[in-house]
Amino acid sequence: MRRRRSVIAPVALIMTLAVTGTAMAAKTQTVLMSGATASYPLIELLTAKFTKVEKALKHHPVKVKFEVSQGGASVGIADVAAGNVNIGDSSRAPQSSDPTGLEFYPIAKYFVCVVTNTANPISNLTPTQVESIFEGKVRSWSQIPGSTQTGTIDVESRTSVAGVLTTFQNTLLAGGKVSSVATPWASEGLEQHAVESDPAAIGFLSDYFAVNNSINAVAYNGTACNVDNTVNGTYPGSADFYEVTLGPASGIEAKFINWIQTAKAAKKIIETSWIPLTGSNPPVAG
Amino acid sequence: MLARLRRPWSDRRAEFTLGAAACLVAVGIGLMILFVASRAWPTFSHEGLSWLGSGGNTDSQVGAMQSTSAHPPASAYYFRAWPLIYATLLTTGFAVLFGLAIALAASIFIVQFAPGPVHRIMKPVIRLLAAVPSVLYGLVGILVLVPFINNNLITAGDKSSVAYVVELTGTGLLVSVVILTLMITPIMTALITDALESVPRAWREGAIALGLNPLRATMTVSLRAIRPAIVGATALATARAIGEAIVLSMVSGGRAFTPKFQDGLIVLFEPLKPLAAEIVQQAENLSAPALRSSMYACALLLLFSSFVLSLAAYIVRIPMRRYQVSN
Repeated sequence: MRRRRSVIAPVALIMTLAVTGTAMAAKTQTVLMSGATASYPLIELLTAKFTKVEKALKHHPVKVKFEVSQGGASVGIADVAAGNVNIGDSSRAPQSSDPTGLEFYPIAKYFVCVVTNTANPISNLTPTQVESIFEGKVRSWSQIPGSTQTGTIDVESRTSVAGVLTTFQNTLLAGGKVSSVATPWASEGLEQHAVESDPAAIGFLSDYFAVNNSINAVAYNGTACNVDNTVNGTYPGSADFYEVTLGPASGIEAKFINWIQTAKAAKKIIETSWIPLTGSNPPVAG
Repeated sequence: MLARLRRPWSDRRAEFTLGAAACLVAVGIGLMILFVASRAWPTFSHEGLSWLGSGGNTDSQVGAMQSTSAHPPASAYYFRAWPLIYATLLTTGFAVLFGLAIALAASIFIVQFAPGPVHRIMKPVIRLLAAVPSVLYGLVGILVLVPFINNNLITAGDKSSVAYVVELTGTGLLVSVVILTLMITPIMTALITDALESVPRAWREGAIALGLNPLRATMTVSLRAIRPAIVGATALATARAIGEAIVLSMVSGGRAFTPKFQDGLIVLFEPLKPLAAEIVQQAENLSAPALRSSMYACALLLLFSSFVLSLAAYIVRIPMRRYQVSN
C-alpha cells in the first residue's frame, strides 16, 4: 500500500510563484479612464504614444498601462467623481449639475458637423432649417430645398450622457433642445452607422466621425464644416476635449496630461483629425 | 486528513451538509432581495407606489435624473415607469402566447406523429436550440430582421403619419415579439415533450380503443394529464422573457413610448422599451443616487414579478393534482 504523498509542498510552491508573479507585475502602473465616445479615437492614439515614450525613457523607464472605456462624457465625469477611474474624458465643459471638486484640463479642440447620408447630399443648411429639423418642427424632406429625399426625416441624436449633444445644442441649436422624436444612440459610432445606412437620416457627429467619404457633412449658414473654418473662427460648432480628474492631477495622470498639453509628439497626433490648443490652458474647475 | 474525509459519511453528517448547502442558497436569495430593496428604498419613500403609474416622458425623467447631485432633493426622484411596465407586459404576453401555441403543436407532433428518424433528430435539436445564447438572437434580429422590416414592411405613408410623435426605424413591437418567441419556444417544447412522453401508454391507448382518432386522444387524454407541466413550462418561459435584457435593448427601439393600438397595424413598428432593457441602458450611469434608486426599484419590480409568477404557477397546479402523472 503506497502512502499518499503530501500535496502541501507542490501547492505551496505554486502559491509562492503566483504571489511573486503578481508582485513583479505590480510595477506596471495602470491608469483607468472612461468617458466620451467622441474623444476615444484621440485618447487611444495618445495613450499608445505615451506608453511608448515612457517605456523608451533612458532614466527610469516607466511601464504604464491604460484601460480606456467609453460610455459618454457624463459617465466619465461621474466615474471620476466616484473614484471608479483615474481620469475622465469629457467632450463638454463643466456644467452646474456636475459633481464638485473636479478639475477639467483642456487638451484639444473639436467641432460638430450636421451630417446626412451620401444619397442625400445637401450642401448647406441655414440655422433656421437646422433648428426646425432637429427640434421636430419640420418632419418631411420635401420641405427642405436641396434634398433628394421626399419622405419623413429620420433624426438621429445621442443619449443624454453625450458631451457632443451638449455642444451641438449650445452652438448649432442656439441653446434649443433636440426633439424627443429623434432616435438616441449611445455612441458616435452607432449614430454614424445609423446615418450611413438610412438615406432619409440626418444627425450630428464630431469631426473624426463626420469628415470622411462615407457620409455627407453639411455646411452651416454657408460655412463649410472643416478644420480651417474652425481654426479661423467662422464655423461656430466647436468645443474642447477635457481630461477630468478629482482634485488637481497628480502622479502619472499629471504626467500624462502635461505631456498631451506640451509635447510635440502629442501635438502631431492631435493635428491628424483635431485642432491643437494654443497658448496656456489652465484647468477649469468643475 | 483527506483519507479520513473519504470514508463513508454518517447519515447525520450528510444531512447537515446538504441542508447547509440548501440553506445557503435560500440565504443568498434572501440577501439579494434585501440588497435590491434597500437600494430601491429612496424611490419608494419619495414616490410611494405612484412611480408605477404614467405621467410624462419616462426618457426625459431618466435623463434629468442623470444630472442630479449626490444629495438630491425629493423632486429629483420623480419617475413614472408605466411605459416600461406596459412594454414588458406587451412583449412578454404576446411572446408567451405565440410560444405556447407553437410549443404545444411541435411537442404533439414530435411525440405522437413524427416518423422515427425525425423524432430521433428533433429531440436533441430542440435542446440545442434552448441552449443558444440569447445575444445571438439579438444579433440576428438587429442585423437581419430590423433592416428587412424597415425596407419592406414600413411604408413612407406609415412613417409620415406618426412623424410628429415617434420615428419608425424597423425596431419595435413586431421584432421584439418575434425574437422573444424564438427564444422561449425551444425550452417550452423540450419540457412539454418530456412530459408528453411520460404519460402512461395505457391511458392513451385506452382512448384509442374507445374509438378516438390519435389526435383527439392526445388532446383529450395526454394534454390534460400534463397540464401541470404545461403550467410549469409557461412560468419558466415567462420568467425568461421578462428578464431578457440585452436582446430587447437591441431590437425594441430604445424609446420609452407606449405603442398605441389605435394606430392600426403601425403599432407593430412603434418603438418601446421594456423594464430590463431600461436597466441595461442605465447600468453604467448609476452614480447619481436618484437614478440608482429608480433602477433598483425597477429591478425589485422584476424580482417581485418572478415571485408572483412562481406563486401563481403553484396555485394554478393545485386543482390539477387529481390528474397528475408528473409533478
